Amino acid sequence: MSIVKDIQSGRKPLKRAYVGIFLWFTGRAIQATARVDQEVKKEFDNLPDDFTFSLGCLPDGPCMVIGKEKGKVKYLGSNPGKRHVHVRLAIKSVDAAFLILSFQEGTAVATTRNRLITDGEVPYALAVIRILDIVEVYLLPKIIASLAVKRYPKGWSIGRKLGGRIGVYTRTLLGI
Amino acid sequence: MLLPDYYEFCCRVKIVAGHDALEKIPDLLIERGAKKPLIITDKGVAGAGLIDIVTRALRDRVFADLIADNVPPDSDLRVVNQLAGLYHDNACDAIIAVGGGSVMDTAKGVNIVVSENATDLMAFSGVGALKRPLKPLIAVPTTAGTGSEVTQVAVIKDHEKHLKMAFGSYFLLPDISVLDSRMTMTMPPFITAMTGMDAMSHAVEAYYCLQKNPLSDAHALAAVNMIYQYLPIVAKNPADQDARLSMAVGACLAGIAFSNSMVGLVHNLGHATGSVCGVPHGMCMAIMLPYGLEYNMHKREDAMAGLLLPMAGEAVYRDTPPAQRAAKVVSLIRQLNADLNTITGGRHARFFQEVRDRDGKPMVPREVLPEIARAALSDGASIYNPEDTDYDDNLMVLEAAWEGKPLDRNKVKKG
Amino acid sequence: MNPAPVFTFTCPVKTNSGNKALEHLPVELAGLNAGNPLIITSRKAVGQKAIQTLLDAFGDSGMTLGLFDGVTTTANPDLIEHLKSIYLEKKYDAIIALGGYGVVDAAKVLNLAVSLKTADAHKLSPATPIRGHLSPLVVVPTAAASGLETSKFAHFNHMIYSSEYLAPNLVVMDPRLTRGADGKTIAATGLAALGRAVEAQISADHNPFRDAYSFAAIRFIKENLPAAVKKPSDKKASLAVLNAASMSGCAASDTKSARLHKLGQVFYDIQHIPPGVIMAMCLPHVLGDDLKEGACDLAALLHPLVGDDEFARTPAAKRAETALAVLGRFLSDLYGTLGKDLPRNLKEACVPGYRMEDILDGLGQDEEGRYLKTVVERITG
Repeated sequence: MSIVKDIQSGRKPLKRAYVGIFLWFTGRAIQATARVDQEVKKEFDNLPDDFTFSLGCLPDGPCMVIGKEKGKVKYLGSNPGKRHVHVRLAIKSVDAAFLILSFQEGTAVATTRNRLITDGEVPYALAVIRILDIVEVYLLPKIIASLAVKRYPKGWSIGRKLGGRIGVYTRTLLGI
Repeated sequence: MLLPDYYEFCCRVKIVAGHDALEKIPDLLIERGAKKPLIITDKGVAGAGLIDIVTRALRDRVFADLIADNVPPDSDLRVVNQLAGLYHDNACDAIIAVGGGSVMDTAKGVNIVVSENATDLMAFSGVGALKRPLKPLIAVPTTAGTGSEVTQVAVIKDHEKHLKMAFGSYFLLPDISVLDSRMTMTMPPFITAMTGMDAMSHAVEAYYCLQKNPLSDAHALAAVNMIYQYLPIVAKNPADQDARLSMAVGACLAGIAFSNSMVGLVHNLGHATGSVCGVPHGMCMAIMLPYGLEYNMHKREDAMAGLLLPMAGEAVYRDTPPAQRAAKVVSLIRQLNADLNTITGGRHARFFQEVRDRDGKPMVPREVLPEIARAALSDGASIYNPEDTDYDDNLMVLEAAWEGKPLDRNKVKKG
Repeated sequence: MNPAPVFTFTCPVKTNSGNKALEHLPVELAGLNAGNPLIITSRKAVGQKAIQTLLDAFGDSGMTLGLFDGVTTTANPDLIEHLKSIYLEKKYDAIIALGGYGVVDAAKVLNLAVSLKTADAHKLSPATPIRGHLSPLVVVPTAAASGLETSKFAHFNHMIYSSEYLAPNLVVMDPRLTRGADGKTIAATGLAALGRAVEAQISADHNPFRDAYSFAAIRFIKENLPAAVKKPSDKKASLAVLNAASMSGCAASDTKSARLHKLGQVFYDIQHIPPGVIMAMCLPHVLGDDLKEGACDLAALLHPLVGDDEFARTPAAKRAETALAVLGRFLSDLYGTLGKDLPRNLKEACVPGYRMEDILDGLGQDEEGRYLKTVVERITG
């Protein structure tokens, strides 16, 4: 018998499932926010017509793809297919993805902790990060979101805060 | 000194520094099995006679006659491919890059093409596309400022397709950086001042931005100490060899610090001003630095206060009450800019209103500030800035930096 | 700055430290063009839990890992030759050394053997020329570290290999790997780091690049070692000590004068006392002599030891002696905390008399060796 043992690396089904569900949820929420929130809508309007970005985890973990189709922002599932992906955000491992998607580390913090590999043109990537920040503000209670973003927005009207949140949640859950 | 929850740090570059550091290059090449380097530089460096110093140091030991001095001020894919061809045709086995940021970028690009036998450089753009060590690359900086002799990034422009390709990999770090005082001795005071403040901005931003870590901190503190001490000396006495070497070392330390901790608002707005108005990078850094400190002070006051001792020394530190130390750092940097303004007969601008081109025309008219504020939203440095920035924030800071007035810190939106 | 006309510094090691650092390993290896690593460790030294933590970090990566967990203190060229043939046969493409001390030394020599392929491991020696990059080597230290893991040195089979290419490409420090360590182990790790960093900071050939590592290491030890020793479950303090150890190794690679290092190593080689324990015993004596003779720049220790305020308050002429006094108090507090677990002299460390001859021989016959013998006499107890 060899003194060296070969060991097959294990699986992390629970974390993977959590990350998968959250990416699915976040994907639908981005689609919803783009319909409800003017600022996110404007960010998307400034991006190219076929703009596509993905957020996933390495090496072959869960992934979500968002793309613009005929001016509308759509959650495209987990595979970009033949579309050109303008910005690819890759989280280094499913554990790192768990840290981010369980809001222990915000996008900026995760970036400064080298958890993410960003591929694509910088201006587009920055737009994506701004969009993700706003989506987090809609989805999360203030106490959690203020940890996840650098500066929790102050000037939002009651309408944007409350109406927006209801709109985002309804549309996310219904997938419209 | 704080230990972040998670950090990474890497500077694999071998540093060789001294008044006769260039003379070590032949041994270093031979150790790596190389004897026929391609020397890459630009016309300005060659015209200043610096290449002659380099080749004199190499001659007799290694082949030193293959010199390409056609690197443009803005890196260019065509030049990269042409130099790679030159490398292949002459069966070279190493690269020596002598110059500033553009020469370093070009040399890194050439190294990718020749090491990977790449026909399309684009295939290696982005982060992490390189997987193995490249050919030996020796960097010889001729300005004490950019720090690109120790950075792992390169930007190459494809002027035909209007594309800007960025490359990031630890394999892009030069193998060796040679800091030799002779390479900066002839730099005029105005350029010395501006590039020195570029280095200062690297060190200071490295010390307060989000990705700071104990090793970047240690490099940043040492850099601030050396640059603050020696920059006015070399601006006044360009021929002071020891001070020149200290500046080269200080700028290199700052380069190591910022390439690991990244930079923030100063670079964010500075890059944008450079691209909109064509203001030299170092001058933008000099002007913006006090404002970056003021804008972020509510989040990073302790770190900023920690810069006072390495800058001003024990007496000033003792005489400044703890609550005023961060503000003192800002005023010392403003004073340094003012001193450099005096030393250079007014050529070193203190605020944007003062920046003029060769014909004396203002380079940053007030009405372009909104355009700069917008352009800054597309610059990656904002990610690492402690406080969030949006268009209005950018404009507020730019207005103050244009007029030369301290930032009204009560107006900063605090997150 | 350094008085020599030309100085050099290099630290080939990348540092990853902190929460979930191990989980970045698959990506880090991919960046080194490796996907089939061989883990080298000692089950006896690091424990099953540490090995499992490392293996679990690869979960979801789809990778297959080789594991050899039988490195002992008597690892010899036979083992290296055996592992080398397995490595080459199974086409491993990187080595991950989990642990400290001899585990890493063996991994460095194995890396040399597999990188030079044709060479018989029995014929490797410190004289073997190393002309370029070796295969990727990652070091994952546990709380028991000598500090030399990140250095360019490998102590193997009674020989000292030295080449910047032997240093690991990457050191990964994860708080989960300090779990279960006791105060005694952490103290030994921290004191070795302190000794090496102090030596780097005060030696005549220092330069600002190396100072960055020694400064940060000394500061971390001073601020964190007491807490980590009192409460080893304080993950942050223990991780800071491990960071200091790693930094001290980077500084040690470029430090020529290393008296404390030599003393620590001789006792480790012959009697297996952790070098930090011996370095702590010798430190006050060696630095005390330096102070009397004005030989080294002891004043350079004060700033990293006490921080900005006290440093600025201390007049320049008093800095050297203040630094020494601070170090003395620091050590005596540690002795107080650990009691019998941290021997103060060779008698308490139970070094048998019959070993002393070998130890003194190991210090050499030159001027430095003669001096070091006088230090050993003073720590006999």
